[in-house]
Formats: sequence, structure tokens, C-alpha cells
Amino acid sequence: MELSNVFLFVGLPYAALVIFLIGTIQRYRNKGFKVSSLSSQFLEGRALFWGTVPFHFGILVLFFGHLSAFLLPGPTLMWNANPTRLITLEITAFAFGLSTLVGLTALFVRRLTNVRIKMVTTKMDIFLELLLLVQVVFGLWVAVGYRWGSSWFAADLAPYLWSLFKANPDITAVGAMPWPIKVHIVGAWLLIGIFPYTRLVHFLVAPLHYITRPYQRVMWNWDRKAIRDPRTPWSAMRPKNN
Amino acid sequence: MTKHNLVHGRLLALAALTMACALSAPANAATGEENFAKICGACHSIGGGKLVGPDLAGVTTRRTEDWLLKFIKSPKAMIDAGDATAVALFKEFNLVMPDATQYNDAEIKDIVAYLATKSGVAAAATPPPPPKEASPAEIARGQNLFQGLERLKNGGPACNSCHHVKNDAVIGGGVLAKELTTVFSTMGTPGINAILGKPPFPVMAAAYAEHPLTDDESAALVGFLQDADKKHELQQPRDYGFRLVWSGAAALVPLMGLYSLIWRKRKVRPVNDKVFDRQVKGGDDVAQ
Repeated sequence: MELSNVFLFVGLPYAALVIFLIGTIQRYRNKGFKVSSLSSQFLEGRALFWGTVPFHFGILVLFFGHLSAFLLPGPTLMWNANPTRLITLEITAFAFGLSTLVGLTALFVRRLTNVRIKMVTTKMDIFLELLLLVQVVFGLWVAVGYRWGSSWFAADLAPYLWSLFKANPDITAVGAMPWPIKVHIVGAWLLIGIFPYTRLVHFLVAPLHYITRPYQRVMWNWDRKAIRDPRTPWSAMRPKNN
Repeated sequence: MTKHNLVHGRLLALAALTMACALSAPANAATGEENFAKICGACHSIGGGKLVGPDLAGVTTRRTEDWLLKFIKSPKAMIDAGDATAVALFKEFNLVMPDATQYNDAEIKDIVAYLATKSGVAAAATPPPPPKEASPAEIARGQNLFQGLERLKNGGPACNSCHHVKNDAVIGGGVLAKELTTVFSTMGTPGINAILGKPPFPVMAAAYAEHPLTDDESAALVGFLQDADKKHELQQPRDYGFRLVWSGAAALVPLMGLYSLIWRKRKVRPVNDKVFDRQVKGGDDVAQ
């Protein structure tokens, strides 16, 4: 068993999970208000739509796809037992992968070119988006170049992940995988490891109740044009940003 | 010498002794036997005749230990270097044994030590019988097992998850592992059966460790692979990778349409866009 494999597929995962757990709690306790993704819709909305919507739809489908193959490897193999279902699943997952790539590229370009967005961008945002791009590109590569991933993930990688959670790591299969698959796995552990120090934390505080919440209607009880008119007499403080 | 130095010196001596013992540890034939069954047994017999590779009865009398160690470590390197015996073996069996990269020197030495204990066994004199033809029912069952239409009894993944076979009757496409179109010609019934029973490849071994194939499933699969090998030249090649990319790209178009449809009432500009524009005009925006 090679030492590098032990480091990448046993040491790194445990380190990443510990950092994820402790780092997230620490960030929430110390800077609770910064557990967010710092929305930039306020600054720019047109390009954001074609980035964020394809990205988020894609990544959510892919995330839950990977998660379900890990949690339910048996039913996944049962679904794939029919070749038509297998190919439908693979094409659907690939389309959502492309959706993620298109969206992420649009978001990355927007972040690098829009002046307003640049003002609120940190180095970690750039690093994270680059890492996600690498991860998505390798994911698509693995999907095409090492078909059929949904089946062999359930047969080989789900037992590997379970072995980690059962504290009895077995890396014989994962250590013998081709290198692009290894890069994709290592990328995933890195993402989990840096999670608490990035905008990814918003994933844990997603306002799911907004989906079922009724509309909030914002009412302006005065005439905005009249307020901006210098001739309108002021009874209180005049707003400075208007 | 102070007491501290004395203890330190003794510890060093003990460490050196332990290392020396570890380096010169005698090869363990018992461990070698276990590893032989696990790693080599799929393709080699000892006195049972040729399988995928040669019968290894008495191999330690025919070759030196050094040669065996080097060959097991990397047969390909030996063939590339032009070693006469290695090249002759390659020509005879028309197949390169996989490199033993995942096994360390001690494990290989154990296997050679086990082979040495079997140096007196005579190689099988008669060649194995020619493969029998599979029945149509076996071939049909093999097709269904290969592509998953009939699930493997113990819940293992269907073969096409990782393997491709050029055969119009099945959906192939798996590329994680070797293409199996002509595997029957190279390995024959005993070789394929041995691999299905005890996979020597780590990825396959892990996938079937908890879900072994039954004997009748292996027989049906061998039948299908024999049939696929026989008529592979008459089958249409299919490029699944190319199709996957284009189908995915085609599915992306309605997906984008769907996003647009769901948010057709979206505000295209941010609510404060006019405020920003006024500030830019007034020279408030520091970055522009």
C-alpha cells in the first residue's frame, strides 16, 4: 500500500472532516453573522441569473446524486440494472454537470470582470471558484472517460466512504483507480476541508423556509419622485445616498 | 558516559538491531501461499496445467530467485529490456502479466518462497481439454447478466458498469476496466472462471468482495463471452462516450429554457440600479 494513497484517502479525509466540523462551529460561534455567501444580486443581477441558476440547479442535483449513491448503493445498482435506466441517469447527470460548468464559468467571469463584484471579492472566493471549476471539469471527464460512474461509484467508492465512517478505512479499490478519478476524490476532500473558511458555509444556513413563506410585499408610503425633488420641503433628515 | 547518554545509546542499538532483523527477515512461505491464492491463482496453477499463464510447478528450479523477483515486480520492464526468457513467454502466451505495483518486495519474496516449497511438484503432462460450446440458453442468460437485466444473485454490479463488449445484443460502454470482446481467446474458460471467482484486480476484488458471483452465473458469463468473441467481427462498434457528450449537451438546451421559464418574471435589473447609475454619473463610484 503506497504511503501517498494512505495520506490522500485516509489522512486527508479525516483531517478535512475534523476541520469541517470544528471550523464550522468556531466560525458560527465567533462570527455568526458572516455565515453567509454575501449576496451580490444587489450589485449586479443580469449576468448573475445565467450564472447562479444553472450552477445551483446543477450542483444540487450532482450533490444529491453522489450522496444517494453513497447512502443507498444497493438501490442505485438496482436502478442501473436496466440499461435504459442506466443511460438515462448518466445523460441526465451529465447534462446537470454541463449546467454546473456553464453557470460556474459565467459566475467566475462575472467575478473577475465586474467592477462592483471585484470590490467584494476575496482571495478565498477566487481560490474556491478555481477549485470548484477543476472539480467540475474532472467530474465531467470521469463521467465520459470512465463510464459508467454511477454503477462503479456504488460498487467501489460507496464501500470506501462507508469504511471511513466506520473507522476501518479500506483503500485497496480507491488506491488502484485511474488518476483523474483520484483527483476528483481528493478535490472533494479539499472542498470539505476549506468549507468553513469560504462562502460555501451558506449551504448550512440555506433559508429553506423561504420556499413556503408567503410573499413579503414592500410598500413605499411616499412619492419617491417628490422626495428626490430639491423643492420638496424636508421635515427630517434628508437621505444621503439618494 | 552519563546515564542519559547510556539509555540513548542502548535505544539506538536496539533500533538498529530491529531494523537489521526486519531487513533480513526470512520470507514466509505460509503468507506466500495465501497471497498466491489471492493474487496469482486466477491465472496460474501449480501442477494443474496452463491456465492464462504457465503452470508454475518447479518454476524455482527453472529460474533464479532474482529473475523471479524482478519478473513478478514488472514483467513489462523485463520484456522492454529484451530479456530472452520474458520475451519468449510473451510470445507463447500473447499476454503481458500485470505489474505488481501494489505489492511490496517482502510480499513478492513470500510468494517466491512458497513456489520454492512446491519445486518437487510435476507440471501437468496433458494439456487442458478444449473449451466446450456454450448452450444458447447459457449465452442468453450471460447477456442478461452482463448488462444487468438479470441481477447477480448476491447483489454485485453488472459487468457493463466497468467493461465494454462489442456485441449488438448488449449495452456495453463501461471503460473503467478492460474491454472484454476477445477475452475468451486470451484467457479461455479456466482463466475467466478464475478471475470471476477470485478477482486479482483490486477494484474488481473490492466490488465483489461482499457480493461474490455464483458458479452458474460465472458459467453463463463465460458462455456469453465465448459467443461474443466468436462473432465480434460481425457486430457494430458503438461509441458511447461521444453519444453521452452530445446527448448531455442536447439535454442542456431545454434545461436552460426551463430555468428561463421558471424565472420569467424575474427583475432583470437590481432594485437599486438607478441609484447606482446616478452615483456613477455623479462620480461617487470609486472604482469607475
